[in-house]
Amino acid sequence: MTIGGHKPGRTLARTRYPRIPRLWLIPICAAVLTATPAWAQEPSGVFRMERLNALVLVVVFTLAILWFLRRAVKGAKLYVRPLPGVSAVDEAVGRATEMGRPVVFIPGTGDLDEIQTIAGLSVLGRVAHVTARYTTPLRVPVLYPLPMAAAKETVREAYIDEGMADHLTPETVQYVAGESFSYSARVGGMMIREKPAAAIYMGQFRAESLLIAEVGQSTGAIQIAGTAEPDQLPFFIAACDYTLIGEELYAASAYLSGEPRLLGSLKGQDLMKVLIALVVLVGVIFVTLGYGTEWWEALLQAQ
Amino acid sequence: MDRIQSVDRRVLYTLIFISVIIPVMWPLHLPTPETPEARAFFDAVEAIPPGSVVLFPFDFWPSTLPETEPMAVAGLRHCFRRDLKVVGLSNVGIGGPSVADRLLDSIGAEYGKVYGVDYVNLGYKAGYQAVLLGMANSIAAIFPTDHRGTRLDSLPLMQRALNYDSLSFVLIVSDNAMADYWVALVNARYGLPMVAGVTAVMAPKMLSYIHTGQIKGLLGGMKGAAEYEALLGESDMASRGMDAQSLIHLLIIGFIILGNIGYVASRRRPSPARAG
Amino acid sequence: MKSRLPVIVAFLAGVLMIVAFFGRGAVVDRVAEEALAWQTIVAGFALLLGVGSIVRVHWHRLATGHPDRIYSLVLLICLTVMGGSGVLFGIGSGTLFDSLFERIQAPMMSTMFSVLAFFIASAAYRAFRARNVLSAILLLTAVIVMLGRIPMGQYIYHALPDWANWIMMVPSVAVQRGIIIGAALGAASMALRVILGIERTYLGQGG
Repeated sequence: MTIGGHKPGRTLARTRYPRIPRLWLIPICAAVLTATPAWAQEPSGVFRMERLNALVLVVVFTLAILWFLRRAVKGAKLYVRPLPGVSAVDEAVGRATEMGRPVVFIPGTGDLDEIQTIAGLSVLGRVAHVTARYTTPLRVPVLYPLPMAAAKETVREAYIDEGMADHLTPETVQYVAGESFSYSARVGGMMIREKPAAAIYMGQFRAESLLIAEVGQSTGAIQIAGTAEPDQLPFFIAACDYTLIGEELYAASAYLSGEPRLLGSLKGQDLMKVLIALVVLVGVIFVTLGYGTEWWEALLQAQ
Repeated sequence: MDRIQSVDRRVLYTLIFISVIIPVMWPLHLPTPETPEARAFFDAVEAIPPGSVVLFPFDFWPSTLPETEPMAVAGLRHCFRRDLKVVGLSNVGIGGPSVADRLLDSIGAEYGKVYGVDYVNLGYKAGYQAVLLGMANSIAAIFPTDHRGTRLDSLPLMQRALNYDSLSFVLIVSDNAMADYWVALVNARYGLPMVAGVTAVMAPKMLSYIHTGQIKGLLGGMKGAAEYEALLGESDMASRGMDAQSLIHLLIIGFIILGNIGYVASRRRPSPARAG
Repeated sequence: MKSRLPVIVAFLAGVLMIVAFFGRGAVVDRVAEEALAWQTIVAGFALLLGVGSIVRVHWHRLATGHPDRIYSLVLLICLTVMGGSGVLFGIGSGTLFDSLFERIQAPMMSTMFSVLAFFIASAAYRAFRARNVLSAILLLTAVIVMLGRIPMGQYIYHALPDWANWIMMVPSVAVQRGIIIGAALGAASMALRVILGIERTYLGQGG
């Protein structure tokens, strides 16, 4: 049983990165970037000149993603390294189905304005399709009302897609308290009583991460966590079987779907990471040699 | 050896509980060595000229009071001792303003400070972005009244503290992402110098702001609060709590060593097939 | 149209906030402020949905004789008392709501936070095993930091606090920065996918 058709890590051909831009673009970009500090002295007009460097970064990032997206849609083979945590989602839901025990999915404890919550809901959508297909009980306790409404809609659409709308109950997606420790107490109690076979935590978490994960560990559930909060990663790594770190949370939805467009966006993201690493390296060299740190800082700082 | 690897968690919890109780009943009075960032925190507040106005966000939930309250108390004592004027507020809706009220009144009373003259509690307003950015132009536009419903223009202190230009410093005590927002929205845009006291879990992330100079000092958790108390020449909640924290750290290290002894011994034991 | 409308709204809202970030002017600023205000208002109304969900689930448990119905009854009573006291008498300092919060809710929240101490101990005991070289390095680093951060550390070995500080200030910060940069790029990529309508699973579409 697979959730997505794609098995990361097994695609054979490597994609080629885009060719170096035409040489005449380079001095124009350099002139624009180096002039930014001077223009920023007198901000005026409709456009915030002091944020020009941020705009350039956004444009480059968008172009990179769109480039790889286009290549992916055209059929280019894209290699993405396997993520054990993502592959384990498959295994976890299967285990729950075989044991006849529920799957607990927590889309983080952030509100809907957090992008991590959106990422968590994206993974929930995919998991809900599988639990609907195999009539595995699903429990989605949510901390805030807006994510609850979004999660209800996500799960409902998934169940309708699979023709299992009548398997939905009010207890599937529940609003639980409005405060994180009350939430973790409720979720811990639920896990001890219902003994889920699989627990998936995807989203933003705060201090309640270890409370929930440790209770889940004591019930014997297979636990998969994913968060971009650096503070909470150590707790998940200690308490869970698999952990998605930082950007892997955002990539999880793309991995699970196997959709070329989503995988293409991951490649664009990787290109940006390489560019940022190069910028960091150049900055380190300059600082180490004691040259031009002020203009480098002015170039990179956005107001 | 297998039993060493799988000690019942209730045994672990009982030992933890005993480790907390013992120093409460028999304090050890262990001195807390200071870290550079705690010293920088102290020095930054010490350098503020007397009579200056300091913004003091109480951005923490009641759940983290054991870590954040000692920092807030020590911070207020330092401010009042230096005759700094304190404008308190909170971006935590429930619990934040009342904790701020309690601490400001109790610590203010210790130093004979008068509400409205030496300190004010603005309370809470929803929408942290609008609050942090709006106060740059006018504090009164965001908080027309203080937490007690008194109009700001009737408070002597608030006739001086009009916006960020009137403020000298921000002393943040926070247990959530508000610490990041203060740095990103206030320090980055308006250059207001600040120090931060955060929970121990958040401290590693906040250290990068020390490196960049965006915050001048950092207190991390109860240890940071204990260091600050020591620098102030006091021994209060945090210092007492460090005794328990010391024992618990040693206990956890003991658990880890025990678990690894069992693990290594079980790996060295020959498998039944080979032994047969 | 039903499936397209949320995507169109997401696109327009995303573009608006991007324009507000880079643009300047009374209209742009006003529209962005209104959008943020609308967000707060929608969240407030959504709270009614949440309360309705809680009441519906627990009332159903009471009505159907669920084994844990006594806890549902306690929950509904507490919800009524706290909500009613806040609505009737206000939530300022000295009110019933504030007293209930300070004397019942706040200590319970602190208690749950304190449970972390126990859970950290059991998690560390279970997880910190020297299974390979990397695990052993992690284990050693954790021990150095734990010892260096307590007063007793300096009595065990005088340099432990300095070693712990160095670990916290140098490799730890470097790793945190790397994670934050990667996560920020991932978040930006995810946001772009949502704005452009490529990612729709959070709406329940696709999969």
